[in-house]
Amino acid sequence: MDLELVQRVQEGDKKAFDVLILKYQQRIVHVITGFVHDPVEALDVAQEAFIKAYRAIPNFRGDSAFYTWLYRIAINTAKNHLTARARRPPAVDVDALDATNYYDAPELKEFETPESRLISDELEQAIQQAIQDLPEDTATAIRLREFEGMSYEEIAQVMDCPIGTVRSRIFRAREAIEKQIYQIMSEEE
Amino acid sequence: MTVNQNELLSALVDGELKGNELEQALQLLSTSDIAKVQFQRHQFVSDVLHGYVSQNRSVDLTGRITDALLDEPAILLTTKRKALVIPFPTHLWKHATGLALAASVGAMAVMGVMNQPQNQLIPVTPVASIESPAQPMIVAQTGNRWTVGEQEVEDRLNTYLVNHSEYAGASSVFSYARVVSYDAGQ
Repeated sequence: MDLELVQRVQEGDKKAFDVLILKYQQRIVHVITGFVHDPVEALDVAQEAFIKAYRAIPNFRGDSAFYTWLYRIAINTAKNHLTARARRPPAVDVDALDATNYYDAPELKEFETPESRLISDELEQAIQQAIQDLPEDTATAIRLREFEGMSYEEIAQVMDCPIGTVRSRIFRAREAIEKQIYQIMSEEE
Repeated sequence: MTVNQNELLSALVDGELKGNELEQALQLLSTSDIAKVQFQRHQFVSDVLHGYVSQNRSVDLTGRITDALLDEPAILLTTKRKALVIPFPTHLWKHATGLALAASVGAMAVMGVMNQPQNQLIPVTPVASIESPAQPMIVAQTGNRWTVGEQEVEDRLNTYLVNHSEYAGASSVFSYARVVSYDAGQ
């Protein structure tokens, strides 16, 4: 689907790029925060990375996944940002890490404060609780999708039900988890 | 927002839409702010489940980036990347066919000569014949060995062949090489 969106952008559809931003902004900001610890600064760098990606998108040929390509742009933008401010980028060779196993780099997790760790734990517990409270079929569908990375078709085969049912179950699970997450976030604020 | 539309946006998060449904979802996102917010919430849940969230808050960069890209010209790759095909002039086809046929016949002739039995390619040493015209040299046409008139040359060839056989066999460098030997009794 990403490739289809990229093709649309390449054909002049700016709205398609908005969807790519919506889809990946959270991940990109998270990756950049590993370098640029200040959250406000990280947002600026993420914005710069997306703008660079938009300008470079005519050259994207689909040799790699769109996210991998975007990830590299984000990492380079973050490194350049630190260099420009005479700050040293992390010693870890992030370029050598694959976009998907980035989170395995402990050097990039140092910025986590005890407070943020505590809130993360709280969030994690709330999510686990929300999933446990779901009807079994709904809980299984979301687990297979989010934790096992299965496609709707695969889930339909495993659960022996139509793809439309899988879609509904995943949507309902998301709604339930969403309520829990936003409740915790509003309590924090 | 209907439930169906909401489900559509949830499926968009998972990259499970194609064709008309994808078109419908994109249309919804570009025309409805509520749809955009809903899509963002679904995406955020997915990101939280994967641990992609920093400072436990949802970010929205779309407005900032859209503003920044406002003055950017829309990308237009109107020319699709297609292979450049140069039409071959029809009047050249006859010449090309003739050349191809001639080349095939030539290749077959060369292959035929190369596949002749080896004995017919054995060089006859005319020098030896000149040296002793009274006794015409008999060249073995059926054996595997070269027959030369001078013993010294024959001995040297002998040594070469033995060395070659041993080297090829021992090192496996020329595993494809043919082991040459003299006929039994010679």
